[in-house]
Amino acid sequence: MHRGMLAACALAALVPPCVHAQTVEGPAAGAAGGNPLARLMLMPDVSAIGSFTGVYDGYDVPGLSPDRGDLYGKKGQPTFVFQEVELGLQAVVDPYFRADVFASFSPGGADVEEAYATTLALPAGLQLRAGKFFSPFGRMNQQHPHVWEFLDAPLARGRLLAEDTLSGPGVVASWLAPTPWFAQLELAAQSTAPYSGEDPELTGVARLLQYFTLSDAASVGLGLSGARRNEGSPGAFRDLGGVDVYLRYRPVSSRAYLAVQGELYLRKFQDVPVAGGAPGEQLSERPEHGFWGQAFYRQDAYVGYGVRYEEAPAAGASAPGTERRLGGVLDWYPSEFSRVGLQASYDHLPGGRGGLEALLHFEFGIGAHGAHPF
Amino acid sequence: MHAPNLLVPLGWAPRARWGLLAAAGLALAAPAPARAALHVVTTVEGLAALAREVGGNRVAVESLSRGVADPHFVDANPMLAVKLRNADLLVDVGLELEIGWLPPLVTQSRNPDIQPGGRKRLTAASAVKVLDLPTGPVDRSMGDLHPQGNPHFLNDPRRGLDVAAAIADRLAVLDPAGASAYQSNLAAFRTRLTEAMEGWQHELEPLRGRKIFTEHRTFTYFLDWSGLVSAGELEPRPGVPPPPSHLAELVQVARQQGVKEIVVENYYDTKSAEVVARSTGAKVVQIPGDVGGEPSVRTYADYVGLVVQRVAEGLR
Repeated sequence: MHRGMLAACALAALVPPCVHAQTVEGPAAGAAGGNPLARLMLMPDVSAIGSFTGVYDGYDVPGLSPDRGDLYGKKGQPTFVFQEVELGLQAVVDPYFRADVFASFSPGGADVEEAYATTLALPAGLQLRAGKFFSPFGRMNQQHPHVWEFLDAPLARGRLLAEDTLSGPGVVASWLAPTPWFAQLELAAQSTAPYSGEDPELTGVARLLQYFTLSDAASVGLGLSGARRNEGSPGAFRDLGGVDVYLRYRPVSSRAYLAVQGELYLRKFQDVPVAGGAPGEQLSERPEHGFWGQAFYRQDAYVGYGVRYEEAPAAGASAPGTERRLGGVLDWYPSEFSRVGLQASYDHLPGGRGGLEALLHFEFGIGAHGAHPF
Repeated sequence: MHAPNLLVPLGWAPRARWGLLAAAGLALAAPAPARAALHVVTTVEGLAALAREVGGNRVAVESLSRGVADPHFVDANPMLAVKLRNADLLVDVGLELEIGWLPPLVTQSRNPDIQPGGRKRLTAASAVKVLDLPTGPVDRSMGDLHPQGNPHFLNDPRRGLDVAAAIADRLAVLDPAGASAYQSNLAAFRTRLTEAMEGWQHELEPLRGRKIFTEHRTFTYFLDWSGLVSAGELEPRPGVPPPPSHLAELVQVARQQGVKEIVVENYYDTKSAEVVARSTGAKVVQIPGDVGGEPSVRTYADYVGLVVQRVAEGLR
C-alpha cells in the first residue's frame, strides 16, 4: 500500500473505518474531496495601488493656480502627501459581462471611482458599459493616475473638464466599426458633477477614437470628443469639445519607446446663471480653451523621462488670462510594480507671477491588476 | 503597432491571386478562388507556425506579436483588437505570458467566442505538461515570476507537437469539413518533426549533462528535452536586472561547474552575459526567441533547428 494511503488510513481510523480505495475494477478517477482551491479560483483579481508624494510649492499654488486636487500645501515648505490607495476588484461576472470596480481611499475619504459592467457578447461590434465610469472624453480622462507618465494632471483638464475626473453613473454604448483600422464610436449618457458644489446633471458624451499604423514600429491615435451637460435650467448647457493625439514609436524588438501626445479642450457655457449671483447674471459665453502636449522617452525597462508644455485659463487669485506651465519628469521603475518619479515645473501666471513647483512621487502596485488599454 | 501583417488575406494566397486575375481576364468565367475556411490569430509566431503546419491551406494565420519581440511586453495596441475582431480561433500561450497585453485586447475585440474558455479560444498551455510550478508561497519579492508555471515551452519540440495536436483538434471542431485534412497535416508534421528530432538529439547527445546559463528562465523545457543542465540565470530573479554581485557569483559558479555557454534570446541585451563571458571564457550564444526571431527562421522546425545548432556549436 502506498505510504500516503497508509497515513490516510491511520488518520481515518480515528473516526470512520478506513475504506480501501483499491477495488477489483481499479481506482475510480477523480480527486478526493474535490478541489480545495475552488473558492480561491472564483476570487476576483484584487489589487491595491498606493501613491505618495513629496510636494514643493514655490509660489502659492492653491491660491494662484487652483483645481489641482489637494496636492499642494504651504508655500515654500516641502510637505508630504498621501494621495490615495486605489483598490481594484476585477472579474468576469458570467458569460455575458465582466465587472471592474476601483475604489479610492484618500485623505478626503473613500469613494468609488469606477464600478461598471462591460458586455462581452453583443453582436455587430457593439459593447455596452453600465455603472459609474470615467467619461469617454479625451484620452487622459479615462486613465487612472498611475498610468500617466507625468505625476499630475495637466492644468487644462482641471480648469475646463473637471476638478478631478469627468465621471459619473450612466451607460455608454460603443461600436467598433468594421474597418481595417481601429475606429470606435462611443456614446454615453451620465450624471456628472465636474466640480465640488455642483449637483449631478445629465451629460451626453460622444467620442470617436481611431488608430492608424504608420509602420511596423509606429502608430498614431486620433480622438475627437464632445459633451453637453445640462446646467439646471431649461436651455442652459455646458458644451465641451476635445481633440487628442497619441503618437507612439517603439522598435519591435525593444523595450524603449517614444510617446508624443497632447490634448486640446474647449468649453462654452450657454445661458448658465452664476451660482449665488444676481438675478439674470450669467456665466460668460465666451469659448475657453486649453491644451497640453508632452513627449516621453522610456529608454528601457527601468528609466523614462519627458517634457510637457501646457496652457490653460488662469483661475483663483491670479489675474485673468492664460496660465502657462513647462515641466519635466524623470521616472524610475525598479520593477513593473513600483515607480519613483521626480517632476519639476515652472508655472507662468498672467501678470508675470508664478514660480517653481516640484513633486517627488512613489507608488506601488500589489495583487493582480488588470492590464491597461493602450 | 509592431505586430506584423502576417495574415495572408483571405482569398489572396498567391495561387488564389492568380486565380482572381485569371477570373478577371476570362470575364468571370473562371471558378472563384479557394478561400481559407478559418482565420486563426495567435499571440506569438511560434504558435502561428504550428497553426500553419496543421491548418494548411484551410486557414489564414497571423500572429499578434513578432518573433523578434519579448512576448512578455507587447504593446496592447488597439490595432491588434481589430485583428481579433474577426478571429475564428485565438491561440494563446497562457500561464500569464500575455497577461500584460492580451486581456484588454480580447475585451476590446467584441468577439465573444475568444474570451477565456470560449469555443474559439485555445490556450496552448492546456495541451502541455507544465514545469517550474511554484510549490511554496509566492510573492513578488521573487521577481516577476509566472505563478502558474513556466510559459516558455515552445522550444521543446515534443511540447510543440502536443500544441500542434491540440490546434488540429480545435480546428476540426470549428471546421468539421476539414477534420481529416487537419489530422493528415498533423500526421505529416509529426513525421517530419520526429525525423528532425532524431537528428537534433544526435547532435545534442554528446552534450548531455553540460551546464549553461540563460538570461531569463526561458530554457527549462529545452533543457528537459535536450539533457543539458541549467547552472543558473543571469537575472537573479525573473525580470530583475543582475547586479554586479550576482554576476560575480555566476563567475564563481561558471568556474566551479565548468559552464561554457550563456544563451541569450536576441531581444535581451547581452551586456551582462558578456561581463560573465569575459571573466570565464564562456561563449555568449544569441538565439532567436521564437519563429521569426531571425529572417531565416520561418517554420517551427527552422526555429528549433537553429536553437539546437547554436547551442551545440557554443558547447563544442
